[in-house]
Formats: sequence, structure tokens, C-alpha cells
Amino acid sequence: MSQQALLSVENLSMRFGGVVAVDGVSFVAYARDITAIIGPNGAGKTTVFNCLTGFYRPSSGRLVLAQDGKTFQLERLQGFRIARDAGVTRTFQNVRLFAGMTVLENLVVAQHATLTRASFYNLGGLIGLKSYRAAERAAIEKAREWLDLIGLADRADEAAGNLPYGAQRRLEIVRAMCTDPRLLCVDEPAAGLNPHESAELARFLVSIRDRFGVAILLIEHDMSVVMGISDHVIVLNYGQKIADGPPREVRRDPAVIKAYLGEEE
Amino acid sequence: MGWAPRFREAALAAIVVIALAFPLIGFETNDFGHGFDTRFSWVAIAGGAAFAGKLLLGLVPRRFYLRQRAARHTALPEGKAIPIAAAAVAVFAVLLPVLPFSSRALVDLATVSLIYIILGWGLNIVVGLAGLLNLGYAAFYAVGAYSFALAAQWYGLSFWEMLPLAGLIAALSGILLGLPVLRLRGDYLAIVTLGFGEIVRIVLNNWSQVTGGPNGVNDIPRPTFLGMPIAARAPDGVTTFNQFFGMPYDPMQRVVYLYYVCLAAALLINWFSLRIRRLPVGRAWEALREDEIACRALGLNPTTIKLSAFAISAMIGGFAGVFFAARAGFVSPESFTFQESATILAIVVLGGMGSQLGIVLAGVVLATLPEFGRELAQFRMLLFGAAMVAIMIWRPRGFFTVRAPSVRLNGKS
Repeated sequence: MSQQALLSVENLSMRFGGVVAVDGVSFVAYARDITAIIGPNGAGKTTVFNCLTGFYRPSSGRLVLAQDGKTFQLERLQGFRIARDAGVTRTFQNVRLFAGMTVLENLVVAQHATLTRASFYNLGGLIGLKSYRAAERAAIEKAREWLDLIGLADRADEAAGNLPYGAQRRLEIVRAMCTDPRLLCVDEPAAGLNPHESAELARFLVSIRDRFGVAILLIEHDMSVVMGISDHVIVLNYGQKIADGPPREVRRDPAVIKAYLGEEE
Repeated sequence: MGWAPRFREAALAAIVVIALAFPLIGFETNDFGHGFDTRFSWVAIAGGAAFAGKLLLGLVPRRFYLRQRAARHTALPEGKAIPIAAAAVAVFAVLLPVLPFSSRALVDLATVSLIYIILGWGLNIVVGLAGLLNLGYAAFYAVGAYSFALAAQWYGLSFWEMLPLAGLIAALSGILLGLPVLRLRGDYLAIVTLGFGEIVRIVLNNWSQVTGGPNGVNDIPRPTFLGMPIAARAPDGVTTFNQFFGMPYDPMQRVVYLYYVCLAAALLINWFSLRIRRLPVGRAWEALREDEIACRALGLNPTTIKLSAFAISAMIGGFAGVFFAARAGFVSPESFTFQESATILAIVVLGGMGSQLGIVLAGVVLATLPEFGRELAQFRMLLFGAAMVAIMIWRPRGFFTVRAPSVRLNGKS
């Protein structure tokens, strides 16, 4: 596999008052890789995500995203620019869909930047420009392809909040993919799913990586998912990185075993 | 339910009523002697009535109870019913002045209703679509009305010159309000907007040199027809509308003309609102209402989304203000109190958040209800309150709860 670094996290720290949630963590996520971040509860995984996607401003450290000869320093960008310009989108631990809008609308909203440009900042759309109508049709077509992929095309016009939980999780991932990201951050996608659904979700993540060449950063507690699909696993404990490597090695790492199972006295 | 709990509930209701009635009904002030009379027998009657009423109500079988219909998400595929109803309402509105039962008072009332409908549609953008509670919407209404009134007074600008300008000024004031409240949501936003509404009214009330203070601004020019005034007499060198068409002057003409101007504006604003919902910015407003954090994670800029909602909503409020000033020929700060903001918000909530037709219905009801209640003077607010409670029980999410999707995959789009 070509090992081209997409995201470099350098010495990331996040302090909340006296609490150090993330303490000098460095790692690299490679293009087209699935990189998993695991660790016991409270290890700082979601905090790393929140720093990456602009919800927290890191206390110190650098988050560099490099692709196509351009580099973005994520810690300096406004939250929405991280998604729009740098191409880093995320899903949430507790699903955050636009519940009152339809499934299709959720996916069309995600293509906001493209549609805004096509509508000449809405003015062209207001007077009914053909180019905007064509762009809207293209956006719907793209949404349809994604919905076919997750088997929700026939429920496209229903309110997203009425979908069963598993479908909402898949829809949230697909919505993030509709922004054409370079890096997709998925926060506990298998939480609340049964083993069969988890396995299906794992296959789905691999398939979108393979088809769209997106890099995936994954937080997950379900080890069958993590060990099955990750190219690269990073283990956090108490805000510090304790292991980093391919799943086979991480599984045998004594520090990891100690963090998860405790130490024999 | 057995008899013992029924009696217990009835007794509880009676106690609550007596406790409330004791200070409110139990004493009556008078102009002589010790200052007040007591009328405790009335309190006893109220308590007895509550006891008997509650007991009787308990005998009504459960299946006759009003059931709340409160589905959380209703994005039903809608039939043709709403477009047909909307078209019927539009046709009726166009024909209204020529219908046999039409009168000057009725057309004038219809103009007031139209102004409220426009205000409802304007506020709906911020409250119904973007989900930002605004309790000071009358401020933008006032900005529009006063922009026109003052520009006419000081610079002699006409209705048609000021209509777009007043909208622009109101939009700028919307951005002015929007900037400091970008980070606020829910109750906190509501409080700041409430304060903004009061600030505007108090400034208008106290800046007497410019605004005329509580006396307001008089002699606001009426809209002209292609530059021709609709009036009995015109200054030298100006042809009036009546002279041009060779018709005798009738005050009704002016009322009907303003009605049609408002109707045209309302139809245009309706078209605009329906259209903008299907544009990226309209969908972004609704997405912002549903989940601001998810918006940000998808690369939508919450700042521009909020400011655009505030600006466009304020602009529509400003237009309504110009119509208001042109209709009355007079503005004063008294017309833009919190009561006004609350009425407009009631129109949006009763209409069903985000529903254009629902707002038409609610706007007509709220604009005409006080007129019908005029004979009942002191019971007007009671009637109003009872109507609101009834609507909230029957239709807690407004008259029209169906949200039409902005795009569809299956079926018509």
C-alpha cells in the first residue's frame, strides 16, 4: 500500500482547566487507510475528534492535513471550513441527523457548497436559472446512488427521524460522504447495533473506502469491527498514546492488554 | 374511576379555584369609606361551580376526550388538497373588492389581514424555518414604517421610492440584531430579541426631534398609481387618477388600490418564500433548525445562514411596515409594542410552523378576531385566550402540520 500521509497529528494536547484530556498525542493517518482510534472510556478519543473537526481549539499541537499539494492547518481553521475546504467530515456518537427533514434532503443539504456555487449564491436559483436546476438534479442523482447503496432509496421522502436506528447510522455516514471528504471521521458507528448489523457496517466502511478512495478515521469499541477492517490502530489511555501499529501487533502489545484488562498484582 | 377519587379531584379543583378567586374576586374597591367591599359569596359560588363542573366532567366517557395529535415528525407526502386550497384563497382575495357583500370597511380589514399575513411569512423564515425564536419582530415592522414616514416627512420621498429602500434599511437592522446574537439560542436568543424590540420602540418614543416622539409622524403620502395620486384634489400640474380615467373620485378607490398593492406584494413574497425553501440557503435554514452542530460538521457556515435568515425576515417585516404606514397615513411608537410581536408570533405558531397557507388562515383569524369581538369589548381578551387554548389542544402543532419536502426522489418533485 502506498503510504502517503494524509493527516499528521503532532503533539496534540487538550486541557480543560486542570484536566488533561489529550496529552501530547502524535500519529499519522495515511491516505486510503482505515485508521482506528481505540482505548477505554474516557481515554480522550472523542476529544481528538473534536479537535480535528474544529469543535475544540487544541491547547497545543498541530493538525496538518496534506493532499494534492495543499496543506491545511486544521487547528487554525474555522469549524465549517474544516469540512468545506479541508474536506474533513465526521459523524457523531449520538446520531445527529436533520430529523424533521427527509432522508433525501439530508443528503442534498450536505451538498450545500456545490449547490450554492451552482446557484450563484442563490440568486441564480431564485430567478430559475437552468444551470441551477441541472445542479439540483445532479445532487439528487448523487443522493440516489448513495441511497441505493444503503438500501434506503424507497424511503427517501420520509422524515429521517422516523428511520430505524441502524438505518439512521448508515444515513449519517452517507450524508458525510456526500460532502466528498478526503478524511471521514466516524465516531462509534457500531454503538447500539447487533453483531450482524456491526459486521454489515464494517463491510460498508471498507466498500466506501475502496470505491471512493477516502481515508477513514474510526473510533470504535467493538473489537471485531476494529480488528477486522483497520489498517492501522492507535491506542489511547488517559489521554496518552500507548500503542500504534497494525491490528495484529497492537493486539499483542502488553501495554494495551494492561490498559484493557488491568495488570496482575 | 370510583366515586371517592372523583370527589377528591373535584374538591382539589374547588380549593384551587377558591384560592385563586379569594384575592381576585373576593375584594372589590370602592370610592368611599374604607376603600373596598368584600364579596365572599361570589368566591363560594366559584368554588361550588368548579366542584360541580369537575364532578360532571368526570362522568364524560373517555372516548369523548379531545385527543392531541402530536406526531413528532410529519413529512407526509401531501396530496393536491393544499395547492387547490391555496389557489382558491388567492382567487377569492383577488375578487374580494368586487364581490357583492364587499364594503370599504371589509376591504380595509382585508388589507390589515394581508399586512399581518406578510408579517407572518416574514417571521416564519426566522422562527419556522431557521428555528431562531424572535420576540422582537415588531422592531423591523417599525423600522420599515418609520423609514418611510420619516423619509417622506424630511426628504419628500414617495411610497414607491421608499418601498425598496425601507426593505433594505430593515434588512440592515436585521443584520445589526443578528450579529450580537450569533452564539445565542433558545431562551437566551428570545430575551435578546425581546430587548431589541423594546429598544427600537423606546428610541422612537424618546428621540422627539427626529421621530416626533409619542406624537408620531402625520401626513404620510398614499401610494400613487403610476405617479398619479388617488385623491379628490391634486396640486396644480398633477393629474389625478380619477381625472385620467374620467371617473368621479370615491374614497373607496384608494382603499381598494392599497389592497391590491398589498395583495400583489403578498403574492410576490409568497412566491419568494416558496422558492427560497428549495434553494440551498432555504434548506440550510431548515438544517440549522434541526441541528446546528451537524450543519457545521458538513461545512455549512452557521454565521451566514443565520444572518441571511435575519436579514430576509427583517426585510419582509420592513415592507409590511411601509404598507402599514401607507394605510394609516400615520405612525406612532404605540403601534409597535411587544403585543404586536406576540401577535405575529402567534400567527406563525397557530398557522403551523413553516406552513404558508396556515399562516394565511391564522393571519386572517388574528386580524379579524378583535373586530368581531368589538361589541363584546371586555370579553375580547377572554375570547382570544379561549380560542388560543382550544387551538393548542386540538392542533398543538398549528393548523397545518404537514411539511412538504423541498425535493422528492419518488413521485412528483
